[in-house]
Amino acid sequence: MSNQEPEKIKRRTLLKGAAAATLGAAGVGAASYWVGSIARVSRSVGKKVIVIGIDGMDPRLTSTMMKQGLLPNFSKMSAAGGFRDLGTSTPPQSPVAWANFINGAGPGSHGIFDFIHRHPHDQCQHPFYSAAETVPSQGGWDIGDHRLQLDFWPFLHKPPETLLRRQGTPFWDYLDAAGIPSTFYDLPANYPPSPSKHGHHRCISGMGTTDMLGSYGTYQSFTEDGPQSPVRETGGIRSKLRFIGDTAKCKLSGPENGLLKTPTPIVIEFQVHRDRSANGVVVEIQGQKILLKEGQWSSWTRLDFPITGPSFAPTGHVSGICRFYLSAASSNYRLYVTPINIDPSAPAVAVSEPKEFIQDVSKDLGLFYTTGFQEDYNARMNGVFHDEEYLRQAGFVLEERLALLEYAVHNYDDGLLFFYFSSSDLQSHMFWWDSDDKHPTRSGPEAQKFFAHIRSLYQKLDAVIGDLNDRYGGSATIMVMSDHGFANFGRQFNLNSWLRDNEYLNPRECSSIMTDIDWSMTRAYGLGINGLYLNLKGRERDGIVEQGDERENLLNELVMRLTAVKDVDGQSVIRGVHRADRIYAGEATALSPDLIIGYRRGYRASWKTCLGNLTPEVLLDNDSVWSADHCADALEVPGLLCCNHAIRSDSPSLIDLAPSILEDFGLQKPLTMTGRSIFSS
Amino acid sequence: MSDTAIHLTVLLNQIANAVGRFLLAPLGFLPEVAGALVVAVVTGILMLIAFKYTSHQSAIKHVRNGIKAELLALSLFKDSVAVSLGSQWRIVQGAIKLILISLIPIGCMVIPVTLLLGQLSLWWQARPLQIGEDVVVTLALNENDKTSWPNVTLQTAPAMEITQGPFRIRSRREMCWQLQARASGYHRLNFVVDGQPVEKEVAVGSDSMRVSIQRPAWDLADILMHPAEPPFQRSSSVKSIRMQYPLETTWTHGRYSPLFFHSWLVFWFIGSTIAAFCFRGILKVNL
Repeated sequence: MSNQEPEKIKRRTLLKGAAAATLGAAGVGAASYWVGSIARVSRSVGKKVIVIGIDGMDPRLTSTMMKQGLLPNFSKMSAAGGFRDLGTSTPPQSPVAWANFINGAGPGSHGIFDFIHRHPHDQCQHPFYSAAETVPSQGGWDIGDHRLQLDFWPFLHKPPETLLRRQGTPFWDYLDAAGIPSTFYDLPANYPPSPSKHGHHRCISGMGTTDMLGSYGTYQSFTEDGPQSPVRETGGIRSKLRFIGDTAKCKLSGPENGLLKTPTPIVIEFQVHRDRSANGVVVEIQGQKILLKEGQWSSWTRLDFPITGPSFAPTGHVSGICRFYLSAASSNYRLYVTPINIDPSAPAVAVSEPKEFIQDVSKDLGLFYTTGFQEDYNARMNGVFHDEEYLRQAGFVLEERLALLEYAVHNYDDGLLFFYFSSSDLQSHMFWWDSDDKHPTRSGPEAQKFFAHIRSLYQKLDAVIGDLNDRYGGSATIMVMSDHGFANFGRQFNLNSWLRDNEYLNPRECSSIMTDIDWSMTRAYGLGINGLYLNLKGRERDGIVEQGDERENLLNELVMRLTAVKDVDGQSVIRGVHRADRIYAGEATALSPDLIIGYRRGYRASWKTCLGNLTPEVLLDNDSVWSADHCADALEVPGLLCCNHAIRSDSPSLIDLAPSILEDFGLQKPLTMTGRSIFSS
Repeated sequence: MSDTAIHLTVLLNQIANAVGRFLLAPLGFLPEVAGALVVAVVTGILMLIAFKYTSHQSAIKHVRNGIKAELLALSLFKDSVAVSLGSQWRIVQGAIKLILISLIPIGCMVIPVTLLLGQLSLWWQARPLQIGEDVVVTLALNENDKTSWPNVTLQTAPAMEITQGPFRIRSRREMCWQLQARASGYHRLNFVVDGQPVEKEVAVGSDSMRVSIQRPAWDLADILMHPAEPPFQRSSSVKSIRMQYPLETTWTHGRYSPLFFHSWLVFWFIGSTIAAFCFRGILKVNL
């Protein structure tokens, strides 16, 4: 008995203690649940890292506005942790920069060197988007006009396929392997989305995601004064709106029917009924009626595209979404249709990992843009939109982004949350102008008026950061980063014309490297925005430059002469010409240019030279509304990094963020990464 | 004849509405799949019972036994071409006989089943509007006088705000408005057409509701497909009023896959058939 008494007491004490602890824990849990619910924050106690990627947010403008007290939340976060210029990629183009961020290593690791790549064995006949490439179908049985493809054994036909060209190991794979959840919303350079091996990674693809036509955004414009038959232009199709009585019959081009031997677009016929007394139209498409007054946008409209095969095979269906905008209804009726986006509620192809992820998001948010480039800059550049219309459309994109961010934060427990904003990039391309120099298309006051929108956008983004900091500042590492900054784009340099004038590219009358170049007399050519390629023997199909000394001498000569290029007013055009063999290391350099041209602020590769076209002049004014750019030298347009934890690195760069995130989660930096943690001095 | 059929259908619809409102009311609160399953099973059993009492059960049994015997003959006399061909011919004859015997019960069931499908479509074809959601309503005018348009107004109501319109589609004599739902429940849109009041029902809510997509024209097919509201008379200025409700998109409701005409119909048909086959032994029905 005497021996059992203390044991009983102990048990009672233990029970009481356990009960008290349980009640206490329940109380704390309930309190945190309640606090969590009113503050709209995650109630999980797991490690949290939040990265907000703001494409093209410029550190100079941000610093200036912080000093003016216009970005209080950036200032607050900067004071708590730090604010630095963030070294960007060479070249500072978004796909390259974001791939650097993803791999924690330079282009030599991921194989993306420019927006545009070429296959050397094709002698640049088929340039493609560097981060993804669609390869044509192989095999199949021809039945009438159709080609039947069976992609299972024993037939193993291969339908056309879009492949992610980014190589190397993305940093989320290490989180995934360690069981740490990560969620990415609209991550650039990740389409098609790379798979998660362990199921802890979720992602919606961002920049690089195509529309239903397989392009990077093709609007369709219908106007009474449009061309007699549809005309394709960069990023769009123009058609005539031909009213008979008050009704016009129109055709909307959809995705190609891949079951045809010669794939042709699936066309949806629709009608536009005008009502002059209402100053608007009724758009009638697939049994749906949309009422639009002049200046009004429709909500998202779902479209069904039937894919017809041979008569014995059932008709397949894919769904796309678009919005209609009636820009004019008084004299010349003008109807704009957004690019037909992949329907997030029923995606025709995978745009998220897992594929259902975007459907889950859509269940809450409805329909939204899924293409990589959401602001329709092509419509603005081709004059389909004017500035205010573009600004309005870009505003819709931002509204959707903010709703998606709210969803992302609401559904975030712990682990890594990455969220991407494109607005600062695609609005800056059109509206950035931070000097008194003559703007390419606008008067001085107009240029200032639209630049004020960029400042206002920065303030909106500052408010977003403030809200996030208020909700998670105490419990999460928050990084706000941009992939590059911005600079005016007043003058354009045609690299191919310069190569022609200096007899590296022949013949003299050549107008395009795609058509009338003589490869047997050409030693170097330009393709893409910053790339220069030698016509190297053994690598290029018709190469003439020998490996070894000839190559070496030619590279040195080109570096020297290009760096010395001066504009008519004596200003230097090129800040640096970088040799790929010296700045890139890794196993993915097969498609690398030989030289990367780093332009000074104010300059960029000319519009024509990017796709290999030549102009009589080498240097000419930029006459496009696309009046700002970042495809300069990396030192001219750094990105920014603002963090609520101390940044110990003096000169952090994009490749340092992945190892920093891994370190924050307690993971070692993998050997695939060349960056260093920003949290270590 | 046509008018008589329409009058009769309107009358039958009134009865079906009264019964359907009561019997199908649980669909308003049952989970989607459960509701669809219960309806499929119950209607499968009811159709089975109806089949039992309207068909010639002993004749069906006799024909089925004959077919079984021929099947046995086929397996026993595989090597005899003459026996095989004879048996196959008699199996075909038996199948035709079964179809003919089934015509009477099918004839008895066609009207109730059509009325039932009309009632089910009210629940499963479209979902009700949600508060804040836009909808386009189209009032189609009769083509008895193409030159003049009647004076049509849609009266504002607190539950449904007019956000656009009216827009006229002259080539089709239609008028369209865009409305936004403001309050849950069943509401009535009140139109005035040349001084005559005209109504259309609207359903707003986040739960399952009985949704009438269209107040039908004086047309038999239209009335069968849209049974909830009375049709417009042939002499009326208004032909029909249609609401562009969001369609249901689950696999038991609405149009889940465009491959199928209406997935709810496919689900109901397969579900009720399976239920009938499962219960034919218990209810001792020869099919």
